[in-house]
Amino acid sequence: MKKIVYYLFLYVFFSMFQFIFGRYVNVFGIFPNLILIVVVYLGGLGRIIYVELIGFLFGLMWDVFSVDIFGVRALMFTVIGYLVGKFCGDFNFDKIFAQFVVVLFANVVYWFCFELIHFIIIGKVNYMLFFVDVLCCMKIIVTVLATPIVFYVLGLTDDKRCVAK
Amino acid sequence: MCRRRKKKYENITFLILLSISFSFIIWRFTPTVKLIKNLVYCFSYSSLSLVDYVFYSSENLTKGIKSIICTSRENVAYKQKNLELTDKLRNYDAMVRKYDDLLKLFKLTKVKNTISVFARISIRDPNKWYRWFIINKGEKDGLYNELPVLVFSKKKGALCAVGRIVETYGSSSKVALITNAAYAFPVEIKGKGVNCLAEGLDLNLLRITYIPCDADVKAGDEVVVSELSSVFHKDTPVGVITNVSKEPSVDFKTAMAKVFFETDIIYEAVILIPEIKI
Repeated sequence: MKKIVYYLFLYVFFSMFQFIFGRYVNVFGIFPNLILIVVVYLGGLGRIIYVELIGFLFGLMWDVFSVDIFGVRALMFTVIGYLVGKFCGDFNFDKIFAQFVVVLFANVVYWFCFELIHFIIIGKVNYMLFFVDVLCCMKIIVTVLATPIVFYVLGLTDDKRCVAK
Repeated sequence: MCRRRKKKYENITFLILLSISFSFIIWRFTPTVKLIKNLVYCFSYSSLSLVDYVFYSSENLTKGIKSIICTSRENVAYKQKNLELTDKLRNYDAMVRKYDDLLKLFKLTKVKNTISVFARISIRDPNKWYRWFIINKGEKDGLYNELPVLVFSKKKGALCAVGRIVETYGSSSKVALITNAAYAFPVEIKGKGVNCLAEGLDLNLLRITYIPCDADVKAGDEVVVSELSSVFHKDTPVGVITNVSKEPSVDFKTAMAKVFFETDIIYEAVILIPEIKI
C-alpha cells in the first residue's frame, strides 16, 4: 500500500511537472524528459511490474496531451522500463556516469523507436534526426544533464536502490 | 521458484501492456482520443470563459453598486439643495406678489431687469453707413439675435435706439440700424400718445408713417419706442421730427424724423439682455 501511494505520488508529481511546469518553463521548447528519467530510475530499483505500469500510464497521459500517434509513448516507456528493469543488475546507478549512459541510451532508443513507428504508421522518417535536428539533440543533452539532479531528488524519497551485484 | 514466478508475471504484464499499446497504435485511436480531448478542452474552456464572465460580471456589478451608492448620495445632497431652493423660491414669489401689489398701489411702472453688455463698434462700412455695423461682442458674451442695441447720446443725455442684432458669431455680432431701409418698428410721439411706424431710408432720417390726420404732430416732437415694440423697451428715445407732410386727401400723415444717434460719433454701443425669469 505504501508503495502504491509512493508511485501514485511520483506519477502525479512528475506528470504535473512535465506537462504543466514544462509547458511554461522551457527554452525554445527544450525541457528535460523527466518522465524518462523517472522510468529509468524506477527500472533501476528492479521493480519491473511497477515500472512497466507506471511507464505505461506516464506514456498514456503524454499521448493524451500530445498530438502524435496515440499509444506510441505508452509503448516506448513500457519497453524502456522493462529493459532497464531487466538489465538493472549490470549498472551501478550510484555512479553519475552510469546514470548518464543509461539515460542517454534510453533517450536514443526512445527517439529512434519513435521515428520508426512514425515511419511505419505515417511513412515519414527523419533519417538525420540525431545529427541535423539541433532541437532533438538539445533535448537529449538537457535530459542527460538533468539526470543526476532527478536521481538525487528521487534518491531522497526512496533509498532501496537495486545495487549492482 | 518464487523468483521465476515473479519473472513470469513481469513478462506477462509486459506483454499485456505491449499488446495494449500496439492495439492503440494499430487501431488508430488517435482521432477518438483527439475528439475526447477536444471535448474535454471545450468543456474546460467553456468553464474558464464562464469563470471569466462571472469575474467580469462581478466587477461590473461592483461598479454598478458603487455608482448607485454615489448617485443616492448625490440625490440626498440635491434633495436638500432642492428644499432650500424651493423655500427661497416661495419667498421670492411672495416678494414678487408684494412688489406687484405695491406697484399697483402707488401706480408705478415696473422696472425691467436687464443685463447691459458694452461693446465697441469694430466695423462700420462707409457705403452702408446707415444700414449696419459690427460690434466686438458675440455669443461668448451671451448675445443672440433680436437684442436691442442702444448708444448714449450726449445731446439727449440718454440711451437712444440704434438697431438690433441680426447675426451673432463667437465674438462679434452684426447690428442692423434702425435707419436701414429694410427695417421698421413701432414708435409713438412722446406726450401725445400717437402710435405710428418708423421706417428706415438708408439715411440719417426715419420716415414716420401712419400718423392720424387729426394728430397734433409738428416738427420738434420727440419720437420714442412704442409699447408695441418687441425689440426695444418702451419710451426709448429714437429721434426728433423735422417736418410733417400736409396732404389733406390722405388718411394718414407722414413725417420725417432725425435719429438721435446721428448727432454723436458712435464708438460704443450698449446691448440690453433681458434677464431670464426662473
